[in-house]
Amino acid sequence: MSGAGDTIGKAVKDFLAEAEEIVDQLNNDLVNLGDCADTGDCNPDLLNSIFRGAHSLKGLAGIFGFGEIGELAHNMENLLDSLRLGKINLNPSIMNVLFDAMDLLGNLVRGAGDGHLDTSGIPAMVARINTCANTSRNNADDSPLASLGLSESVLNALTEYEEHRLIENVKKGKSIFSIIASFSLTTFDQELGDLTDVLKKEGEVISTLPSVGSGNSGGIDFEILFGSARSCDEIAAIIDRPGVTISQLGGASSVSMPVATAPVHFEEPQSEPVPVQQSAEAGMTAKSMSRMVRVDILKLDELMNIVGELVLSHSTINELVGKVRGSGYSTLAIELGKAAKGLQRKLNELQKGVMEIRMIPVGQLYEKMSRIVRKIAREQGKKIDLRLFGADTELDKLIIEDISDPMMHIIRNSIDHGIEPPTERVRLGKDEKGAIRLSSFQKGNHVVIEVEDDGRGIDIDRVKNKAIEKGLIQKGDILSEREALELIFLPGFSTSEKVTDVSGRGVGMDVVRNNIAAVSGMVDIETRPGLGSKVIITLPITLAIIKALIISVAGRTYAMPITSVLETILVESREILTVERREVIQLRDMTLPLVRLADIFELNDIAASPELFYVVVVGVAEKRLGIVVDDLIGQQDIVIKSIGETFKGFRGISGAADLGDQRTILVLDVGGIIAESTRGSI
Amino acid sequence: MKKILIAEDSPAMRSLVISTIEVMDGYEIVEAANGFEALRLLPRENVDLVITDINMPDINGLELIRYIRNNENYGSIPLFIISTESSEKDLAKGLALGANEYLIKPFDPSQLQSLLKKYLG
Repeated sequence: MSGAGDTIGKAVKDFLAEAEEIVDQLNNDLVNLGDCADTGDCNPDLLNSIFRGAHSLKGLAGIFGFGEIGELAHNMENLLDSLRLGKINLNPSIMNVLFDAMDLLGNLVRGAGDGHLDTSGIPAMVARINTCANTSRNNADDSPLASLGLSESVLNALTEYEEHRLIENVKKGKSIFSIIASFSLTTFDQELGDLTDVLKKEGEVISTLPSVGSGNSGGIDFEILFGSARSCDEIAAIIDRPGVTISQLGGASSVSMPVATAPVHFEEPQSEPVPVQQSAEAGMTAKSMSRMVRVDILKLDELMNIVGELVLSHSTINELVGKVRGSGYSTLAIELGKAAKGLQRKLNELQKGVMEIRMIPVGQLYEKMSRIVRKIAREQGKKIDLRLFGADTELDKLIIEDISDPMMHIIRNSIDHGIEPPTERVRLGKDEKGAIRLSSFQKGNHVVIEVEDDGRGIDIDRVKNKAIEKGLIQKGDILSEREALELIFLPGFSTSEKVTDVSGRGVGMDVVRNNIAAVSGMVDIETRPGLGSKVIITLPITLAIIKALIISVAGRTYAMPITSVLETILVESREILTVERREVIQLRDMTLPLVRLADIFELNDIAASPELFYVVVVGVAEKRLGIVVDDLIGQQDIVIKSIGETFKGFRGISGAADLGDQRTILVLDVGGIIAESTRGSI
Repeated sequence: MKKILIAEDSPAMRSLVISTIEVMDGYEIVEAANGFEALRLLPRENVDLVITDINMPDINGLELIRYIRNNENYGSIPLFIISTESSEKDLAKGLALGANEYLIKPFDPSQLQSLLKKYLG
């Protein structure tokens, strides 16, 4: 790893956090740029923002000792600079180079983060970028800037880019206007923001030059250089604000005053004694930027752990209350009990607060996914209409991170296998554009994310044939549609006839399911031939602290997340029936398959088959299962801790938890147990 | 205590400038994430020196420098530019507008420190 030093200091972490953010933003902007490159009419702000991103990244990388990353960003910046200054024109081949360079940059930044920085691809990429930058160079333009008659003082404060934008506007036949407006110092950012928002709809805000207010109250003036196809009067009507002077620069300059009686500068009546409330409100926009705090998720984890331990300490205090009461100190016990209750209330608030900090809207995941959709659609020559619903549904940050890759794979599958090529869609009477619908919503303590497409659906017979070919099932096995669909999740299963660049990356749906199960989630598929498929992911809202049902089997204690427990019932052994070699019971109008924990974990069941035992009915998504246990001990808040890489592959266990009395117990992975049971391997 | 205003839109670059100054005694730092914030902070904070980036959204560094130099309230305060070598022309303009010093990213922390001592003591 290059120059990162022996320890990854805070500064490097800052670099990585910001670099990742910039790379994300750049990716987004590039996709948008790609869209408008096709039409030939590019938003100059977009190009400038991409340039600024590459520029910032270069500066950052240089400072933090990632010279190679800086080198790449520097070359991208040069190319982007030439593009934004109009020295070269954007075309599809440049667009491809930019996309590839951006991919490489993203990999480099991630590599720098996990210590696997591979810089071998940089020289070739730099060469490609420079080839682009050196060809198709436009002729230097004779500057029409002089004709605008800008004052020396204004000209001196224009950046090269701003000059270029002025020239471009003039070349395109747009008029350049100077718009001068006065504001009070307390409210200028809000009001100027409003003004530029209005202007941006009608043209391009090229430069915003502040100057000392000419009014008596020490306000601030802004001269906005604005390029637009509109006339002076039209702009005046659009702005509709007293005290604004608009003049057209160069040529047949017509000057008009929006307010008949207004002098060149006009103080607004309300601007001097500003009501406190208004100024506070106006201050919101600029302030909000610096109100965000970037926090390492590990710190939140630590905080959550402490909260968890506090919760455990609280249970200990509660036990003490009981003991004190038992020893005859009843007044003391009541006082202590009250204090413990108060503590609990505050603890709950604290827990909720910390939990909320970790929550981020699913929309952030959507952003990533929409980039991927556009990229894959581009590669595959398919047209996709991506529709997003429930972007403000919140989920634990870690869960969102962990399901990004599985989600990406599901979406790749949808585009690759589901959505038909445009010509085929037209032939089938479908819209040429395939629709992919991402929707998220909260359902109790779970968040459901659905990925739905209107493609060809999954061909059940093909799935079965493939499974027979792969030896996963026997010819002649009778499977229900649901069971057949489950085959997709078996390791090594892939129905794709040829390995494509998109889906054929060795990651199957089994990996998708495992990754989702790792965050206690479930994945399900529904399909309708010819009409499309729907993948349903059900996730817990948070992983940190959960309510659990504590149970015992063969003398051992386990915890089950209460979110997956539907009910518990007391069953007599004679109620158990055997259907197709599986134990089931009749629960109201449904047949409930049973599994014995003692069997799953191969425990020696000392009290083999007691007459009376408990069945915990669990369910995630639409699946139901009865888990046979010896005893129900009670409910408790637990903090699930990882049991480490070594035990990761253990089926049926998702982690360990401390019960507060120095006892550590295992937490059951209910989703995993259900999946295994449906698969018939238990 | 001398007060330094830093106008820079990149949080990491900002935190780097800050960490360079923080180790020195006698300086207080005010941060602005863009030109707008800098304009808002100027009349409120009694600033002794301004360090600005050139490339910032909305109000850029040149515009900020021009505003400060034309304002009798802060007209003569020392102004440093922190920018990249690629914006040579813009840098020249910044100096012409009245910036006192410039630093090229990635800058040398000790250079910034000695410049601060030179201007603020």
